[in-house]
Amino acid sequence: MSNEEAPALSNVTYDELEVGATLGTVTEPVSAELAGSLVGAIGEPGEAAVAPPAVFPVLFLKALRRTLGGIPNGGVLAKYELDFGAPLKTGGEAEIKVSIADKYVRRERPYVVVQFDISDGDGVQVLSGRKIIMWPTGPGEEAPK
Amino acid sequence: MSAEFPSVSEAVSQETIDRYADISGDYNPIHVDLEAAAASEFGGTIAHGPIALQTFFRSLTESTGGGALPPGTKVKVTFRAPVRPGDTVRSELREREDGAGATELSAECVNQDGTTVIAAQASVPS
Repeated sequence: MSNEEAPALSNVTYDELEVGATLGTVTEPVSAELAGSLVGAIGEPGEAAVAPPAVFPVLFLKALRRTLGGIPNGGVLAKYELDFGAPLKTGGEAEIKVSIADKYVRRERPYVVVQFDISDGDGVQVLSGRKIIMWPTGPGEEAPK
Repeated sequence: MSAEFPSVSEAVSQETIDRYADISGDYNPIHVDLEAAAASEFGGTIAHGPIALQTFFRSLTESTGGGALPPGTKVKVTFRAPVRPGDTVRSELREREDGAGATELSAECVNQDGTTVIAAQASVPS
């Protein structure tokens, strides 16, 4: 299923997510056009032979949408932790493995830690990243109707 | 790595947010649905987190002299407050210490009211 074909929003609940589970591995193109639009002001055309750091949050969203069946509806971004590896050249593809690293409740707010392991077309790791999302549902709660 | 850390600012509009939704495929109603967002706890649309973070990334890549960050760079980001259409976000990057084999940096992204919307730390290999 391509990114465009994947549902836009997901109502997967906190309880349905299993720590340690792999949601899936997907491949996304990293075009010079995409990278160029994330070099300067958002969406302004630019040139990029390698992916600027802003490409990776976009890859997170695209991979999450495909592997979770949509972006968490009502989720709020809380934190990133990013470990950069080799530069990612534009014009190729990135392979993105998505897994659930942790989930917890802090100050009565539910959080889910999603792990993204990204490698280039040759299998070289270009980024290991964690995205901490304040999840729209907490323990024992059902998805909103 | 340059000892100069350029301050980068960016004005955020609903057009910016809609453009980022198209780039990323994130059409969460809190970002793009004016009516639904108005009824939410935020009282209106808010920008995707990476939009405000872009000021930090631009400042960091300009100071490291390249389009990509050096291999081994570690970045931690905390999103502290929402960014809304009409806001202007400015990133201020500063060196905390020159550690063994790495330069430790910290940054705050603030809006036009002086509110910190993002706090970030980076460790860049020397």
